[in-house]
Amino acid sequence: MTRKPVDTGDPDRLYTVTGGRSRADDTFDLVTLVVSESQATAGMQSEHVRILEMCRHPTAVVEIAAELKLPITVVRILLGDLHDTGRITARHPRAAQSAASLPDTALLKEVLHGLRNL
Amino acid sequence: MSVSAPPSQHRSATAPRTSPAVPVAVLVVSAVAAGAAVALAPSAAGTWAPVVAVTAWVCLAVAVLVGHRLVLRARRTAAEQEAEAVRLRGQVAQTSAEAAHLVNVTMPALVKRLRDGAGAGESLSGVQPPADPQLRRLADTFASAVEEGMQHVTRLDGERQQAQQQLQQAVGELEQLTRETLPAAVARLREGQSAGTVLADLDLPRLPVVRAPAEEFVRELAHSERRAAAAQAASTKALSRVQAKALGMLADLREMQERYGEEAFGDLLKLDHSTSQLGLMTDRLALLMGGRASRAWNKPIVMESILRGAVGRIAAYQRVRLHCSTGAAISGFAAEGVMHLLAELMDNAANFSPPIDEVHVYVEERSAGIVVTIEDSGLKMADAAMRHAEEAVSGRITDIASLQGTRLGLAVVGRLAVKYGMSVNYRPSSRGGTGVVVLLPPQLLAQQRDPGPHEAARRSAPAAAPTPGPAPTPPGSPAAPSAPAPDPAPAPGPAPRPAAEQPAARTELPEQVRRPTGSTPNGLPVRSPGRTMSEAEREREQRRSEPGPQGERPARNAGSQFGAFHRGRRSGGTGPDTPPEPPTAP
Repeated sequence: MTRKPVDTGDPDRLYTVTGGRSRADDTFDLVTLVVSESQATAGMQSEHVRILEMCRHPTAVVEIAAELKLPITVVRILLGDLHDTGRITARHPRAAQSAASLPDTALLKEVLHGLRNL
Repeated sequence: MSVSAPPSQHRSATAPRTSPAVPVAVLVVSAVAAGAAVALAPSAAGTWAPVVAVTAWVCLAVAVLVGHRLVLRARRTAAEQEAEAVRLRGQVAQTSAEAAHLVNVTMPALVKRLRDGAGAGESLSGVQPPADPQLRRLADTFASAVEEGMQHVTRLDGERQQAQQQLQQAVGELEQLTRETLPAAVARLREGQSAGTVLADLDLPRLPVVRAPAEEFVRELAHSERRAAAAQAASTKALSRVQAKALGMLADLREMQERYGEEAFGDLLKLDHSTSQLGLMTDRLALLMGGRASRAWNKPIVMESILRGAVGRIAAYQRVRLHCSTGAAISGFAAEGVMHLLAELMDNAANFSPPIDEVHVYVEERSAGIVVTIEDSGLKMADAAMRHAEEAVSGRITDIASLQGTRLGLAVVGRLAVKYGMSVNYRPSSRGGTGVVVLLPPQLLAQQRDPGPHEAARRSAPAAAPTPGPAPTPPGSPAAPSAPAPDPAPAPGPAPRPAAEQPAARTELPEQVRRPTGSTPNGLPVRSPGRTMSEAEREREQRRSEPGPQGERPARNAGSQFGAFHRGRRSGGTGPDTPPEPPTAP
């Protein structure tokens, strides 16, 4: 095995980013939209700052993870921190759409029936 | 003897004068008495008396004569003996004088001549020999004995001088050996020369008794030097393999952390932590053995990452609280060293404080550099322990021989501090424990990134951007109209992209890597260490990411547009007001 001449990654290990936590609460899933509610303040963890900057507009958790180049679990833990201190709000996309806005089951059945008759 | 002689001589001289008169007088008196007796005799004895008288007188006369004769003879004998005694006395006196002469004059003269180097016979002929044969023999014997003694003394003197000369030579050679030869030999052996070379070149003493131990010493020393060097080389090589393995494991773990979900995440983190600690231990040993650290960074690392990278390598990382608000970054070449040094100090602080207490790490930016303070609230270090620690971290002692089994960490700190010019000081902590103050000098810092346009644009962009998206579009930023980007022309394709992407693709890169703002007072550009390597690395990555998936585009586009915008503004071009690369559909 040859040693790489230089390291191109980051020196931070993930457990230092999360402070040793490996479990996130269930507030966030992959598509939860996150909006920041406050500005970054001095002394914050750099990931928190980046999340707050990134989420000025609703951003999905998976996008945050891609941008930060961190695993989803880590991002969810970080978001959990921010959520607990009220710096962000989370909105599940499905929760925004009420059941009423979906097409009626009967209507769908009729469409299916019509298609089969074609 | 000689004192009592004169009176007797005197008496005997007077005796002969009186001796003839006495017998005559006796005879005369006796004859008169006999005549008187005859005359007076009665007539009855007339006939007998004269006869008796005559007979008696004759008898008396005979007796007197005989006596006289005897006396005379005795006197003659006495005179003869007297003369003999005088002669003998004279002889004794002469002998005595000769003996005195011999002792007082002849012998010293003899001794002097012999001392001057003359032979016994020659010396004897030079002095007046005593008349007495005994004395002469005595003188002869004395002369030969003295001559023999003198020869002996001369021989011994020569031997003594020779011995002294040899001794002086030996002392001189020993001195030279101790003062010059051996230190030179030790220095050359330390440089790695072999015993044969050193022995051939050195001016070794000629005396075998000195030369043999010197050669033996040089050979033994060479042997131990070789053994030490071989052990060091072997351990360095072995450690580098362990380092590489640990590094590979870390990379694999990072990949697995991405790949597996939450159920395995905690275990993977635990493994990651253990492997990181292993990395610290192997790095520590490798540095002590003269090897290299397992990692090397090709880009500046911000202080927050430095601290996290350091704290991630120690066991009690959860007890360490980092207080870092600076955005300064450490140059890539020094980043690993700084990280290791801080990790060792944090480890020390965590180990020497109660397991429930926290260790606080503060970072301040000062004009002298960055000051990192590590404070624990454990027991205050004893003065002696603090002195030991200070000495260990001073880096003055670099000999492996001085290592103690348990203080390896601080020895590494000392070496790193010396290598990178950091200063490490211990002081009592305001929290009750011990504080360590580390000063990172300015030459270790990457040039400060100018946060102006970059951050401002990023902050203001979303406000003006019409479409919400993961990547805010910079064309809407206030600066855009006044500073249009150059027209990318019909093909925005691969050609302009790498250059355009650069500033944003790696936001943590300082600006000076792109445009070297640092310069000497004379106007010469200053190249920061590690820059060439990071440029090359970056280009390689861009080439690799060129045919990248479309999914990455939004984030990259934002950067590329912004980069092109910057470029355009700098070049002062007056192209159309369009972004260099139309954003993909948000």
